[in-house]
Amino acid sequence: MRIARKCPVAVLSLGLVWIAAAHLQAQAAGQGGKYSGPRTPDGKPDLNGIWQVFNAAHWNLEPHSPEEGVPGGQGVVEGGTIPYKPEALAQRQKNYESRATADPLSKCYMPGVPRITYVPLPFEISQTPKYVVMAYEFAHARRIIYTDGSPHVEALEFWMGDSRGKWDGDTLVVDTNNFNDKTWFDKAGNYHSDALHVVERFTPMSPNHINYEVTIEDSKVFTRPWKMSMIIYKRLEKDLQLLDYDCVSFFWKKMNAGKK
Amino acid sequence: MKSPVSGPILTLMLGASIWLVAPDTAIGQTSSGPAAKSAPAASTYTPPRTPDGQPDISGMYEPGWINQPAETAVGGPWKPPVPKGGKSIGPTDFGARDAAEKDPTRTQIEQSRKPMVIDPPDGKVPMQPWVAEMRKKIYDNQEKPEYLDPRVRCLQAGVPRANTPVYYNSYQIIQKPGYVVIIYEWNHMTRIIPLDGRPHLDPRIRLPMGDSRGRWEGNTLVVDVTNFNDDTWVLGHGGIGEGQPAETATSGHGIVHSPELHVVERFTPVNKDVIRYEARIEDPKAFTRPFTISFDAMARGRADHQLFEYACHEGNRDGILMATGVDIDPSQK
Repeated sequence: MRIARKCPVAVLSLGLVWIAAAHLQAQAAGQGGKYSGPRTPDGKPDLNGIWQVFNAAHWNLEPHSPEEGVPGGQGVVEGGTIPYKPEALAQRQKNYESRATADPLSKCYMPGVPRITYVPLPFEISQTPKYVVMAYEFAHARRIIYTDGSPHVEALEFWMGDSRGKWDGDTLVVDTNNFNDKTWFDKAGNYHSDALHVVERFTPMSPNHINYEVTIEDSKVFTRPWKMSMIIYKRLEKDLQLLDYDCVSFFWKKMNAGKK
Repeated sequence: MKSPVSGPILTLMLGASIWLVAPDTAIGQTSSGPAAKSAPAASTYTPPRTPDGQPDISGMYEPGWINQPAETAVGGPWKPPVPKGGKSIGPTDFGARDAAEKDPTRTQIEQSRKPMVIDPPDGKVPMQPWVAEMRKKIYDNQEKPEYLDPRVRCLQAGVPRANTPVYYNSYQIIQKPGYVVIIYEWNHMTRIIPLDGRPHLDPRIRLPMGDSRGRWEGNTLVVDVTNFNDDTWVLGHGGIGEGQPAETATSGHGIVHSPELHVVERFTPVNKDVIRYEARIEDPKAFTRPFTISFDAMARGRADHQLFEYACHEGNRDGILMATGVDIDPSQK
């Protein structure tokens, strides 16, 4: 994976600066307090802009030591450990051992949900009353989250699932199902089946950070539903834009190197 | 997906299903409206305004005229060989042709057969010799992955090609203050176009979809696109006929460009349902002069239309293996 090999140092140092800055903002805003930031004309918190997660969840959701190319992490899973069924835990271990090639991201496949949120690259939210569109720098992945009250599609399978959102007060709640069983939650082989059901809660804490809480449900793989949570930070640089990390084109450049 | 169906083939099926379930959508509406004329937009239609005062072109759209020729063949028409007892397979692939069969505007299109290239008036793409040569190589080497259509390799279409009406695409346009966002179903391309007059990216930054800067001129969205790399083709819909010589191409297939490509696009709502598209294409390294294309790119779809996930690369192993004998993911053996 190019990101894992090339980016960790940059991501880490950037991340530290951001975490420090956002921590100050969090204190100023009164963490967990009522949202008092900008709102859209229909009265919802205005999430338009470019956002990014800065943590080590992309490499491993559970607490882990640093190693070459992998920043250490204190974990984002509530309770610290993902409640695998015994046989599923063995599969996770298998995935871990073959992660260098078996991680779907190493083939430029779509990362799935929620992993796309904490891939260490930014994403941009475009919000209207009926849709919240999330466009990601990684592999131009995209989610169109319908907030128009429309129901899920039935019995299909998508890499990124089928997302339907609603506002619960100032929290955007996104319910996603219709997944395939091919994506992982991280580079450490944490995985799911096609029975995956994801509920994300995006709660803006200030204009510049969102509390992100995810409930994972998959009765084929886990003994019970479990939660992860992290902060999503706003990128405030002037004229910042997404610079399409076009993974598939890099894949083909390797395939076709020296030809033509 | 669980099924072994590969990306582009699945796409084909999805495309076909869209036509089956929604034959009454906007394509039909274009047949009698002003969209049927292919003159450059001089629209009197005034769209409503968004809360921040932009002309409102938001909504769900389907591709416009799917089977319009892109260009006049530089070497005359191609007469495909007729197999014994069967109909010939033309230069466009069967999905596009099947769609065209169902297209009520078909007769009109076939009558006019006007190419998308409106300038130069002869409809020919003014290729530099090396571009014509590369096109020939592409046509003659379709069994090699490095010459395959970027679409078949699941790469982004680039600009203006992304706007070519093709049966495997549909669109959602959303507008937020300061931006127009064009969301393409085809290969999950998304263009977030700022309208605030900011400068283009540093020229050292090169992207397959380029760098878009938009502005409203009256009711026309004008987008200036630069900072391309040379990964994409300028035009292209349909495919290459079996044994078709490059100089007979009318589909825009196989026209490469240099990173100097500069495109100025004009999206004009000509009525409440149709967006006419015009693009001036300039690249002195690749073309002997700038040229202009114009066509009805987008026709409003049903309000409840939804863009589906276009997982192309994820399912492409079998298709590439079949076309070229090259295995792009031996771990799936």
